[in-house]
Amino acid sequence: MGVADIRVDFWTGRGDSIDDLVEAAIRGGRIYADKQLVVTRTLAPYGLCFSGEIDITNTHAVPLALSMAFVRNGEMHLDVTGLIFCDISGIRSFVDAAESMDGGRLMLHGLPALLQKVMNVTGWSDMDSLVICRCGVEQG
Amino acid sequence: MPSSSPIEKFRHEALLYSGWAEFVAGTVPFIREGVKAGEPVLVVESLDKIEMLRVALGGDAGAVLFADMAEVGANPARIIPAWHEFVTRQGSSGRRLRGIGEPIWKGRSADELIECQRHESLLNVAFGHGQPWWLLCPYDTEKLDGSVIDEARRSHEYVMEGSEAGQSDTFRGLEASGAPFDVPLPDRGTSIGAIQFGPDDLASVRYMVARQADASGLDSGPTQELMTAINEVATNSIRHGGGGGSLRIWQEDAAVVCEIRDSGRFSNPLADRQRPAPVHTAPRGLWLANQLCDLVQIRNFVDGTVVRLHMRRGPQHRLTIVPDERPAAPNN
Repeated sequence: MGVADIRVDFWTGRGDSIDDLVEAAIRGGRIYADKQLVVTRTLAPYGLCFSGEIDITNTHAVPLALSMAFVRNGEMHLDVTGLIFCDISGIRSFVDAAESMDGGRLMLHGLPALLQKVMNVTGWSDMDSLVICRCGVEQG
Repeated sequence: MPSSSPIEKFRHEALLYSGWAEFVAGTVPFIREGVKAGEPVLVVESLDKIEMLRVALGGDAGAVLFADMAEVGANPARIIPAWHEFVTRQGSSGRRLRGIGEPIWKGRSADELIECQRHESLLNVAFGHGQPWWLLCPYDTEKLDGSVIDEARRSHEYVMEGSEAGQSDTFRGLEASGAPFDVPLPDRGTSIGAIQFGPDDLASVRYMVARQADASGLDSGPTQELMTAINEVATNSIRHGGGGGSLRIWQEDAAVVCEIRDSGRFSNPLADRQRPAPVHTAPRGLWLANQLCDLVQIRNFVDGTVVRLHMRRGPQHRLTIVPDERPAAPNN
């Protein structure tokens, strides 16, 4: 896939430079990394992939990473298949992000069963703006 | 049972019974009176007693809600949320309700018994200032120790025994019902791990719990849930308990037990049994621990807080209520 095949609405990229976009397209760019979490871009669909663990030591990574994600047709896609641990503060960050999308939707792909259970029992599973998807996610 | 005028406030009443006939005499007229008055009735009992009550109530049974105490109250801290949901859903128009709940029976472990007794006191705190409803708590005086019956008299404002019903002379009162709970927590059997932790050590806490629980034979699902719960308790210690604490893990025949101690104190005795409101800032950690774990023990000592989480090691250790022997046909 060449750079010319990528359709990106550059003007909603929130200030991302074309260099960053090309970097992301070619290298599946890493946009956040700490000792327990890595966040990378995905291409099909455009979005982010979270791999590792989120707790209060790195909850800030969620809004930070999401600020660099694309919203297309009102949807932001997150691959969380590799999110082997996420505490309540992390879930809360995703909930906050979903609620601030101004009518849009945050789509969670591959949410681990335990996280689904945690969201159910803590009262965060019945939201229009935070959607738990059953589909697969391809990574660019 | 004497016919009663409508109650004006929450009535928490212990029914002391000996044998099936007294159980029936104390519960069936209570239920029938509620059904006749159009009051929603929920009975949380053993399956055995539910079956017997259905037979005794006949046609009236259709108007009564039943729930299995072994499901609802395996972890006693889940009982108050269940009652709260009943009162909120069925009593929304301000009408009175009735309930029967028997959380204590012979066969509860010593740890569970203490938590059930704490639950009984906390019922007064949870519902003492709310809408009027009548909760009858049966206690089997034949099978339970005298000390358990004495405590029932302290946690219930009213006591019914035989045909006598009235206020308990030894009720501890609403304020004492919610006082900090400081019944001692003695050390357990075989310790399989202990560490101190600070703000940067949550991953270490999780790994230790996961590794030790797995090594002790706990299945992967319960291990992950225990790890999730302990992470929330440790997070509370870091945020509110002085910046950290100590973790200990014990392996027992029936369960893996993890404990976190910190130097904090918290003031809401119902913190772990209030369903979180949708607002983001509502605390959820201890609530989550109660949904994931088989038993949660919380103590507020003078020098800090202790939280112990129990995860049963297998289905053979799940709570069951052993049915008693009973007569072939109960009397109405």
